[in-house]
Amino acid sequence: MTQAQFRFTGIGKAFGERRVLKAANIDLSAGCCVLLSGRNGSGKSTLLRIMAGMEKPDRGEVDFGGGPLPWRRCSHYLQQHILYLHQQPYMFDGNVRYNLGYALRRGRDKKTLIAAALHWGGLEAMANAPARSLSGGERQRLALARAWLRRPAAMLLDEPTANMDIEARITTLALLRSLKEEGYALLISSHDQHHFDDLFDVRLHLGDGRIGPARPSAQRITVVRS
Amino acid sequence: MQPLTETIANATRLLLDGNPELWGIIAISFRVSLTAMLVATPFAILTAFALAHFEFPGRKLLVTLFSSLLSVPAVVVGLTFYLLLSRQGPLGDWKLLFTQTAMVIGQIALCFPILVAMSHSAFQALDRRAWETARTLGAGPTRALFTLMREIRFGLFAALFAAFGRIIAEVGSSMMLGGNILHYTRNIPTAIALETSRGEFAQGIALGIVLLTLTFSVTALLQHLQQRRMSGQ
Repeated sequence: MTQAQFRFTGIGKAFGERRVLKAANIDLSAGCCVLLSGRNGSGKSTLLRIMAGMEKPDRGEVDFGGGPLPWRRCSHYLQQHILYLHQQPYMFDGNVRYNLGYALRRGRDKKTLIAAALHWGGLEAMANAPARSLSGGERQRLALARAWLRRPAAMLLDEPTANMDIEARITTLALLRSLKEEGYALLISSHDQHHFDDLFDVRLHLGDGRIGPARPSAQRITVVRS
Repeated sequence: MQPLTETIANATRLLLDGNPELWGIIAISFRVSLTAMLVATPFAILTAFALAHFEFPGRKLLVTLFSSLLSVPAVVVGLTFYLLLSRQGPLGDWKLLFTQTAMVIGQIALCFPILVAMSHSAFQALDRRAWETARTLGAGPTRALFTLMREIRFGLFAALFAAFGRIIAEVGSSMMLGGNILHYTRNIPTAIALETSRGEFAQGIALGIVLLTLTFSVTALLQHLQQRRMSGQ
């Protein structure tokens, strides 16, 4: 995969009179996991969507190695190299295989790659099941396997363990660890900070539209790769 | 006037015997209406997608306009284009009046608002994450649009069938713009109107049977597809 580094500086975004992001700065590096905290409505999701090229900021620059560029000149690049996973992943109308195959470009050996992704995500038993019939945890695994097939440089995950039981959470965390070990840059936005204690390298907090260091987490959870 | 049973029997015989005049009328109807649908559908879907997906000045006005145009009578559309295409009209030099092209233009004007309004509702109802997921998984705008169309395919089929049902059965616009010329612009509804005014009900009923069969088949097909989807097949 691409060993990319992204440096976002001075990201600002307002919705009407409300300035959600003032001057947010954040770096993404290959194999590094950043954990982002922040209160509800602090702009975490907005920041992630901007970083993934899905939303236009009012101002801000991105540097991916060749010097800072205004966002409008690199939104397409961001869309191509940074993948955003919704808190509740959207499943296309079709089975698990179809959803995995969607992430593949034409001409690649789809069958083999889909089989590999099914194995990676522990989804073999439900390969032909309608994706929308899966449970929340299974959907998250499918979304991660789909992202894994896509091979972006970085993944931005919005509350990836929200509303999960302990078993589903452990499996999801194991997959996230696997992604990190494979060299993906990860940015995880979550209220459940302690879930990721064994995973993150940097902890940041978004408050008052700016990003700063976060307080250490009190609780820990051990991640076991299933 | 013949008894109704005898008229229906005659109508069925006309259909089954392959009466060339009758089937010629049916062919003209389908040629004109399908051409109108083929021309209108891509633009209508793109318009509906743009109205559902982008914010731009006048968007809400356009949505209201297309919804209002749904109920415009076919004869008013016919009259408008008649005035435009008639010899004294601004487009008179094109010499299109009383041609199949004029009928196609009138039917495009009739089906376009239906296609836009119904497709727009389907796009609007779709989860916005569908577009974002497609894009973040590497789909370009065109592939992402086709993905959305696949997601809302039953809504789009419903729009296509509703629009086709409206134009294949409309008489006002076809009569005014086509002129009801036999073997050229006489289609099913104008033929039914003419034969009924002459007291010749057999051909009118035969053509009515074709329209009813078409409507029934299309509705049954749509229901079958929806049931298959619900049962996850």
